[in-house]
Amino acid sequence: MIPHPVPGGPESVLRLRNVKFTYESGIEALGGVNLSVDKGEYLAIVGGNGSGKTTLAKHMNGLLRPSSGDILVLGAPASSRTVAELARVVGYVFQNPDHQLFCGTVQEEVAFGPSNLGLGPTEVQARADHAIDIMGLSHVKGRSPLSLSLGLRRRVSIASVIAMRPQVLVLDEPTTGLDAGEASDLMSIVRLLNEEGSTIVLITHEMKLVAEHANRVVVMAGGRIVLDADARGAFSDPGLLRSSKLLPPPVTLLAHKLAPIGVSKDVLTPEELVFELTRGGVG
Amino acid sequence: MTGFMDLYSERDTFLHRLDPRVKLLAVVTISALAFILSEIWSLLLLLAFILLLMALTGSSFRKAFFALKFVIRFMVLITVLWPLFDRSGTPVLFSIGPLDITEPAVWRGATSAVRVGCFATVWYILMFTTSQRDLVRGLTKLGLRFDYGLALAISFRFIPTFGLTIESIKDAQRARALELDRGSLWRRSKNYVTVLVPTVVTALRTAHMLSLTLQSRAYGAVRERTYLREVRMGPRDYVAAAVALLVFLLPAVAMYHFGVQL
Repeated sequence: MIPHPVPGGPESVLRLRNVKFTYESGIEALGGVNLSVDKGEYLAIVGGNGSGKTTLAKHMNGLLRPSSGDILVLGAPASSRTVAELARVVGYVFQNPDHQLFCGTVQEEVAFGPSNLGLGPTEVQARADHAIDIMGLSHVKGRSPLSLSLGLRRRVSIASVIAMRPQVLVLDEPTTGLDAGEASDLMSIVRLLNEEGSTIVLITHEMKLVAEHANRVVVMAGGRIVLDADARGAFSDPGLLRSSKLLPPPVTLLAHKLAPIGVSKDVLTPEELVFELTRGGVG
Repeated sequence: MTGFMDLYSERDTFLHRLDPRVKLLAVVTISALAFILSEIWSLLLLLAFILLLMALTGSSFRKAFFALKFVIRFMVLITVLWPLFDRSGTPVLFSIGPLDITEPAVWRGATSAVRVGCFATVWYILMFTTSQRDLVRGLTKLGLRFDYGLALAISFRFIPTFGLTIESIKDAQRARALELDRGSLWRRSKNYVTVLVPTVVTALRTAHMLSLTLQSRAYGAVRERTYLREVRMGPRDYVAAAVALLVFLLPAVAMYHFGVQL
């Protein structure tokens, strides 16, 4: 394992120490994970299916409890706190929005989380309205969430979590099933949340999202972290990614092919490639 | 609950190879026998025979233990409770306050417990040795309409899937700071609405998708469909069916025609 460039300091919001987890069926899903997430980070967890990404993420808000090892949330052990208590700090958005929507209107749906926190009605209302506003749902707030498109249903599910104002937002494959426009809109909103101070943990298969948004990448394989680096570092080694059933984004692969003519290998976006190709000396 | 859904294990024993219809017949005749037998010794003998069959299914000890655990609990419950409610007969063995525990009632309780044990255990043999698909094939061969059979097979198939969906929905609501199992009974039932609604919605969406996929695979295109696995009775099956009938008929004739106490 390559050590994380910034070791978890006092600022870390989440800290996992030698976390192991075995499912009842006897399958070991996590084989000793050490991870420290700092405040304000935008962390992507990537890996093939069955590599342990979701299992790891579910430990962050207590939905799963480690078989051994310990987890600190804001410096305090998570083991003594319920999921509901941890939900104030760590918001978790499930992959399938249909697994949580049950209210008659978007407004009620988004207000459900904050009202579970025992806040007063005005505060609940204010938080719900703010979340609806951020997620761009004002035009549908009186409609039934179930009647909306998948893209909008997913935004409602995110709004209903951010309305609780968690410091950490865990997103499990938020762009699955969305078209390019919906996905890019959603990711811009998430970036905005990050810029406003939220710590983002993004679980995804889409390397393009990782390259464009995350500032740190954790690669998982076989229940272990095999790489923990910044996005450029992570994509510079296609061999390691391939062994974890992943591919760098196409633009990075292209840059690797163009390396013989002097293009830098750590290109992450089309803009960077254009810059590489148009600056003096290349081409 | 999913434990009950994967009782079947892929093996190659004589019981696995039997036609599912013969196995259904055997379950019916053995249950009928358990119903007419009234002596505890004959019932114990029958239970021993059923347990022997169960050993022949080649199922793992763990699986058999899982299955029998429920049967044994039930049998103990019947044995203990029966004499408390049935207070007829003499002699009185002992009294707990106003309750007289009589010897005949204790025997009747034990007899009923063994009978219920027979009923339950014999079904397990069927479940241990017959895949859900074969069971449904057997039922359709016996005249169940194919679409009903398919509906049955699909419901079997989706029980574990829905178990997982419900777990995921519960997790999703807990992640929104909902404490599902806290508060008064009224509070808790209200909490479960948040699980019920997404479950029903997911079920309806799944059912809709399933009907589309069935149609796109030409379900219902022709009246007489063919099957990949034809269930056909072989000589072995006829012998087994005859044995299954005799297991019931011999004691029945002995009891009702010749007046033997069994």
